[in-house]
Amino acid sequence: MSVLKTDKLNVGYNKKVLIHDIDLCIEKGEILTLIGPNGAGKSTILKTIARQLDNLGGNVYVDEKDYSKIGGNEFAKKMAVMFTGKVKSEMLSCGDIVATGRYPYTGHFGLLSKEDKEEVAKAMELVNISDIKDNDFSKISDGQRQRVMLARAVCQDTDIIILDEPTSFLDIKYKLEFVSIIKKLTKEKNLTVIMSLHELEIAKKISDKIVCVKGDRIDKYGTPDEIFKDEYIRELYDIDDTKMSENIDILKI
Amino acid sequence: MEKKRAIRYTVCFGILFVLILIFTALNICIGSVKIALPDVFDVFFKNSADEVTGTIVLNIRFPRTLAVLILGGALSLSGYLLQTFFHNPIAGPFVLGISSGAKMCVALVMVFLAGNALKINSATLIFAAFVGAMISMGFVLLMTKRAQTMARLIVCGVMIGYICSAITELVVTFAQDADIVNLHNWSRGSFSGQTWENVRIMAIVVFIAFVLIFIMAKPLYAYSLGESYAMNLGVNIKVLRVLIVLLSGLLSACIVAFAGPISFVGIAAPHLVRKIFNTDKPIIMIPACFMGGSVFCLFCDLLARNLLSPTELNISTVTAVFGAPIVIIILLNKKGRAEQ
Repeated sequence: MSVLKTDKLNVGYNKKVLIHDIDLCIEKGEILTLIGPNGAGKSTILKTIARQLDNLGGNVYVDEKDYSKIGGNEFAKKMAVMFTGKVKSEMLSCGDIVATGRYPYTGHFGLLSKEDKEEVAKAMELVNISDIKDNDFSKISDGQRQRVMLARAVCQDTDIIILDEPTSFLDIKYKLEFVSIIKKLTKEKNLTVIMSLHELEIAKKISDKIVCVKGDRIDKYGTPDEIFKDEYIRELYDIDDTKMSENIDILKI
Repeated sequence: MEKKRAIRYTVCFGILFVLILIFTALNICIGSVKIALPDVFDVFFKNSADEVTGTIVLNIRFPRTLAVLILGGALSLSGYLLQTFFHNPIAGPFVLGISSGAKMCVALVMVFLAGNALKINSATLIFAAFVGAMISMGFVLLMTKRAQTMARLIVCGVMIGYICSAITELVVTFAQDADIVNLHNWSRGSFSGQTWENVRIMAIVVFIAFVLIFIMAKPLYAYSLGESYAMNLGVNIKVLRVLIVLLSGLLSACIVAFAGPISFVGIAAPHLVRKIFNTDKPIIMIPACFMGGSVFCLFCDLLARNLLSPTELNISTVTAVFGAPIVIIILLNKKGRAEQ
């Protein structure tokens, strides 16, 4: 049974279709990674799947149910997100931020039950941020911030987590650490992860399936072994050998 | 740590509550006629005080103090809502021009209806102020699409404020002599001359708004992370946004209708409260901002009445002296952090 399936999905902004006929099928515990040049529309696809943007044709099925027919709260228990934009928060501790993930489970005033608190603690443990629970969220490093946002998504206790370029603000050490946490999550909690990445090496190692977005369509869709061969990646990113060496020459000066 | 926080919140709420009591007492006792605290108690509980003292306490100072308490709280809460809405710590009804928009509409209604010798009740005034607040808010919302940065939004708001104030001045110039004195005082902000009838109406309006805002504490918390996260958590963003705009507008309108535009309280009070409580959780901030705003305004009104007694200062003069530096501090801190 697929956790998430898209059927001839069209995505775009302001009713203008950017990418059409997207057919994806993701099983439980899998990592699906979107790669492709900047501005190819990776975020647009993720946002449409997460119901942040209107669906411009076709459909998405979550647990084999039409996703537009799932109520807001129920949907929040199925899919958690983490976006690129920095969260501007004032005077909230990391624990407070993570705790917002429990929103769909708390009562009317959003007070945390004992169980909720345990879930928050567990999520923070899982991504190794228990020690900064009481630190001010606006005063921690980018690497820590990304992990806090990941813990927030984890404690939302969903089957699917959507990550939009989760590693973009991080240096190489944090990048590796971050993806190893993601890998751990899919193994331990049987989570399904759908994300976009710029780092091809990481994408190749971590993903079960890779989606290449180019132009107005999905150019290729398959396992890392199928995607990362021959000259395909050069083609995907429009890397022209002669131009490339010219550019490198310029850099040498 | 959980416990430490709970203790901190309790202590802070306690302090705010005590401050409200102290300033309420001071506001009733101190004035051009000094009244001793025991005499005030006599007026309330024994009816044994002399008539003059009774009148001063019951008909002048007590309603005024209550009005300051209610409107100060409302002002601070309205500021807090706008700050949450725009994700901007220096947003407030005054700097965004919302107060001035409300002022303009109230002045128009006052002048034209008074000219026709009609009696204007407070409900009409609140409604006029609400319409004005919504007009300004509409412009501000239009501009947020183009003015992404915090400072630009504020500058646009201030400009809207100036335009509205200019129109108000124009209207006042055309008003009849007798109205001008009143209008002039009011258009600069003053708590003077509150009747029990006013207090009753503002209490009802503010109470209803407060309850509705408190019920919204949970979605507001999710909203403080940004819209996409709130949406993902199942918050109906469109409804929430409309509610925030309407409620903050209603609170601003209520203040302007009764006391005119009052500057900076909407920014300064929530900021101080945030610092004291060391949190931005709406469920704590909503009641805390209300109480903080009350204390701030009670303190400022006390100064406004007594500093140059018997002349009364505009309340905005006093609130600006204490509020504006706080805004500057916030701006400077922001910049410092961005450069790090």
